[in-house]
Amino acid sequence: MRKITFKIQRFDGQESWIQEYTLDHQPGKTILWALIQIKETLDPSLNFTASCRHAICGACAVRVNGQATLACETPLDKMLKRWESDTLILEPLQNFKLIRDLVVDWEPKAERLAELKPWLMPKDEFNKESGCRQSPEDFKKINKNSDCILCGCCASECNKLSGNNSDFLEPFVFTKAQRFVADSRDKNPVERLSAAINHGAWKCQHCQECVTKCPKGLSPAEDISNLRQEAIAKGLVEHSGVRHAKAFLDDIQKTGRLNEGMMAVKTDGLVKSIGNIPFALRLMSKGKLNPAHMFPKPIKEVAEVRAIILAVKESEKARNIANAKRSEAHTNPDIQRPKEAAK
Amino acid sequence: MMKYAFFPGCVLEGASQEAYTATTKVAQALGIELVEIPGWTCCGGSHLQDYDKTAALAVNARNIALAEKMGLPVLTVCNTCTLMLREAKHELDNGAKELVNPALQQAGLEYTGTSPVTHFLWMLIKDYGLDKLKKKVKRPLKGMKVAGYYGCHILRPPHIMGFEDHANPHSLEDLIRALGAEPVLFDARLKCCGFHSVFTSKEDTMKATGTINLSALEGGADCTVTPCPLCQMQLDMYQPEGKRAVNANDDIPALHLTQLIGLALGYTAEELGMKRHIVNTGILLAGR
Repeated sequence: MRKITFKIQRFDGQESWIQEYTLDHQPGKTILWALIQIKETLDPSLNFTASCRHAICGACAVRVNGQATLACETPLDKMLKRWESDTLILEPLQNFKLIRDLVVDWEPKAERLAELKPWLMPKDEFNKESGCRQSPEDFKKINKNSDCILCGCCASECNKLSGNNSDFLEPFVFTKAQRFVADSRDKNPVERLSAAINHGAWKCQHCQECVTKCPKGLSPAEDISNLRQEAIAKGLVEHSGVRHAKAFLDDIQKTGRLNEGMMAVKTDGLVKSIGNIPFALRLMSKGKLNPAHMFPKPIKEVAEVRAIILAVKESEKARNIANAKRSEAHTNPDIQRPKEAAK
Repeated sequence: MMKYAFFPGCVLEGASQEAYTATTKVAQALGIELVEIPGWTCCGGSHLQDYDKTAALAVNARNIALAEKMGLPVLTVCNTCTLMLREAKHELDNGAKELVNPALQQAGLEYTGTSPVTHFLWMLIKDYGLDKLKKKVKRPLKGMKVAGYYGCHILRPPHIMGFEDHANPHSLEDLIRALGAEPVLFDARLKCCGFHSVFTSKEDTMKATGTINLSALEGGADCTVTPCPLCQMQLDMYQPEGKRAVNANDDIPALHLTQLIGLALGYTAEELGMKRHIVNTGILLAGR
């Protein structure tokens, strides 16, 4: 009989250790099946959380060989094949306070979630007579992110959060924030955006772990990117992150290529960049920073590049206006739908 | 002869010119023709989309359309360029083509979706073949312990990259073995180097950088090798800061993927621009 060994990280509130359990292999099972099997047949003291078994409740997220995943929807055989081994390591999510074994504490996370007010603050124009409508197009903008089940997989593997969680929030918090910022019925996007920026929206490292780990196919990194863009659109531009991102557009429009040599000055300003002089000298001594490259020649097609960017933005604007008109028809109480008017 | 529309990316023109040199030399030795895309622009470096997503789509649609005009697949040597181009391609193939093409047509270009976007590492494995590469090795890197550091944007997100399993990749290790060296699997091999937050979150970035170098050293590696010039910059140029951030003492050379291949193909360290590195690569090559 093929045997599968699980090395599970245990924690009793004080001590942490690795405990091995061995089960007979059964085909077509999940990681959650193994956890339940271990608890029921080998060790009732093993603690983990799980509920719906359908990837809806988000309770059973654990790390399998260092990768956060929902235990209930992760096929055991797929993991054995991926790791080419009959031994798997199961650990609790990272970047969470640990309670027992595989059980993590969500209470501090709920408090951090509340920082970005993940609830609807309806616009004043809505009332109980006219309701709180939005168009199908506007609903589409919030529908995807409403799928977040708060499992914590994104937070577990977030490189920025692992580095320091005091000036950044969990990726799912930004996803929830984006859902309300994008909600056509919400009246307070600026307040949320400003909170998102103050809580580190420009500090994301772009590692794409959150996008990779989300069991619901959401893209927290993209949500962070959208929050950044929205914040800029609402005038929240006093940030090194904004200047850094803007430098890319400016350089592309100016010469077509990035001017690395001037990046620090453009992002941090001249005064702060002076602190980088030892670093600059380090690079210069190896020819990595060439003062002759500070003012690069534009590519000869640069006018064409500018025209293309402009033209694509124009056609996008036209499309957005058309969409907004459709949306207005749904939310304006004066424009009633034919069916209701007939009532 | 294998032929590609070469997209070098901005850093290969600047801080990582040695990677440009190494790429050209390796391609030449392997008989792969790289035709640089005339008039390519910066991909946006995974920052442009935060300021102006539409501009990022527009410039990369143009970059790919230029390669289509050449009738060649796009070849990149930078993880982030690969991600940016592939993300644009994904969007273009899923509806954005209609938005972009009228603008491209004014410049005599059109995006149709005929040019795939690949990375030098993927090309070697999928198009060229490691068996063929093995036969070209003149100086096997016997005894060299190499920590393959992937970098985020060649693996993640998998729905855009999708070359191999993001959780347990082995393309780099396979390549290292093909060159006669010994791959080192180290703890931080899939972690982020922090490059893209070096301005906004410097302390965390240096901690990330230091952790990777230290982890490779603890794994017994003589050097790291990465398919991304941005990761290489981070691991090499910022190594002193990285060391301070994690209280480490030892240095570890960080090589561009094409430099490691170049060494095995018989080029000297000097020919591959290794004198331009911040961390001395001499120890690595002593006795070779």
